Amino acid sequence: MRVLLIEDDASVAEYIVKGLRESGYQVEHAADGKTGLVQATTEQYDALIVDRMLPYVDGLTIIQTLRAANDSTPALILSALGEVDDRVKGLKAGGDDYLVKPFAFAELLARIEVMLRRQEAGSAVTRLKVADLEMDLLAHKVSRAGQAFNLQPREYKLLEYLMRHAGQVVTRTMLLENVWDYHFDPQTNVIDVHVSRLRQKIDKGFDKPLLNTVRGAGYMLDDSQ
Amino acid sequence: MILSKIFTSFTFRFLVSYVAWLSLAVFMVLALIYAFIAYDFFAEVHHSVTEELGSLSQAYQDGGEQAVENFVRIHSGPDRLIRFFYFVGDEHLNKIAGNLNQWPESKEYRDGWLGFNFESMLDDADSVGTEFIARSKQLPGGEHVLVARHYADVLNSTKLVAGALTRSMVATILLGTIGGTIVAALSLQRIDRINITLRRIMTGDLTERIDIHSSTGDFLRLSENVNQMLDRIEALMTGVQQVSDNIAHDLRTPLTRLRNKLSSLHENCADPGNREEVEALIEEADGLLGTFSALLRIAQVESGNRRSGFASVDLCTLVSDVIELYEPLSAEKNQVFHTGLAKVGSFHGDRNLLFQAVANLVDNAIKYTPEGGKVQVNLAVEKNVLRIDVADSGIGIPEEEREKVFQRFFRVEHSRSRHPGNGLGLSLVQAVVKLHDGYIDLKDNKPGLRIILRFPRPEQLS
Repeated sequence: MRVLLIEDDASVAEYIVKGLRESGYQVEHAADGKTGLVQATTEQYDALIVDRMLPYVDGLTIIQTLRAANDSTPALILSALGEVDDRVKGLKAGGDDYLVKPFAFAELLARIEVMLRRQEAGSAVTRLKVADLEMDLLAHKVSRAGQAFNLQPREYKLLEYLMRHAGQVVTRTMLLENVWDYHFDPQTNVIDVHVSRLRQKIDKGFDKPLLNTVRGAGYMLDDSQ
Repeated sequence: MILSKIFTSFTFRFLVSYVAWLSLAVFMVLALIYAFIAYDFFAEVHHSVTEELGSLSQAYQDGGEQAVENFVRIHSGPDRLIRFFYFVGDEHLNKIAGNLNQWPESKEYRDGWLGFNFESMLDDADSVGTEFIARSKQLPGGEHVLVARHYADVLNSTKLVAGALTRSMVATILLGTIGGTIVAALSLQRIDRINITLRRIMTGDLTERIDIHSSTGDFLRLSENVNQMLDRIEALMTGVQQVSDNIAHDLRTPLTRLRNKLSSLHENCADPGNREEVEALIEEADGLLGTFSALLRIAQVESGNRRSGFASVDLCTLVSDVIELYEPLSAEKNQVFHTGLAKVGSFHGDRNLLFQAVANLVDNAIKYTPEGGKVQVNLAVEKNVLRIDVADSGIGIPEEEREKVFQRFFRVEHSRSRHPGNGLGLSLVQAVVKLHDGYIDLKDNKPGLRIILRFPRPEQLS
């Protein structure tokens, strides 16, 4: 997997490059908007990580230019909190995800993986399956080993998101953004309570827990354990 | 209310004492005027009587009894302004001539002046008053000459003067008081306007200034000075805020680096004991980063540039989403969770910030309410405002600390030790509420705390 990082802050760049390399990515780094844009247009990448504020050409312009040229390489926008936190603008410009600095590396990694996977899946599905846990998206029904569950609407959405990203780490912020659709700082472990409620329903009474906590990062739904 | 305010105002009290001193001064001046007028009147009376006496004596000495009769006719006719009475008698005071029948029984005063009030002594019937002043003189031949005049007219004149002076004094006091009240009311109005603005500024909006367009003179100078003072305070405040924001900003980068290094250390750590230590360190660093982010977020909200992202928000859905998110936390503590949500229509604002604000309040309410307590969230329409109530039956906040909880990093003493938190939650709520032109109120819920958010209702057909 080849990733292009366009970031002018050397320390942040070093940190991201190091982390991604350790996670098995091939990373190239451009330190300003102009070189970044040239690199992004001339070479093929699987994902872009673009800082919003860059010298010469700003991040949003880079993405807009690429999209105008029919380049749909998934792009994650990084933004410093001091700037106007205009997520909508970033996503409208063609960004696939938006992350505010400072962030934990696990957060960035989880988002990149989800972004790349989204690229692969693409097509519409009507049925999700993880081990013996099944979700019928049309009938809104969930069952495990043939045993049906009754889920609250939010629990259903939560499980759907986890199942769509089965095998990937999903952070608490990602859950808040995608399941609850709010960007905010919950201060407490409120997401954990919801996840443990869901866990009660889908894992209780089964030998193999599917919904696992990933320390320091978030959650993962899979049958690997 | 307004009257009592006028009466207690400094201007009014000043004017009352002013009127009192003015009355005293006016009284003294008028009394002096009265004394002069009265003195002049009586001097005139004395002078005329003395002159008449001289003329009468002359007439008698020149022409005897006949001349006196003529003199009396000329000087005491009905067409004369002042009626004099004359008497000429021999050494035994028997009448020789004059228009008095007999020598009056009189009291003698200083300098040969006499006074009497015998009506019966008049030879004609018409009454000319009762008080007379007279002067007599003994001629070298032994005869006594007397001239008298009544002075009731003088007394009347002085009474008239005194009356006029009294009335003018009453008028002075009355007009002074009315004028004073009006002037006091006017200046009170201006001072009130300044006070209202100052109170608004004190409650938060440091950018506001006193309107100086309608002021003149002293008030203009006062307003200008207050405004300049506010400029300085604002500059200082912004300076302090800027410094703290800069510190937060600058410290965040090394902190992020620290956290990142710790997390890579964590991954390479083989010893489980060390791993745990590193995990604790990461948590600590995350806490610090969270505090800095919260500080910067507040600064960002306060700067007001989030307004550009305002859109239509359904507060009812938003509040019920908060409740839905936090209700399980409350259930874990076996709390009774009450909600009452009215349909309030759409509201113009930033949905993420509003969610954050309400979430902070609900989070606090759950956190500070013991097991089995009560938490209540209401959304209602109240005249021109949308009102969100978050109430709990927890420990509450002592009244004297309610204002302080909005300060950054302020934490009520007993919560410091027991509950995690950075003391920025309510500061952020306040910043968000202000960004939406709302008000935040802390009330005693007996027991517990009730926080009320009020937002101006968008103009709409309901």
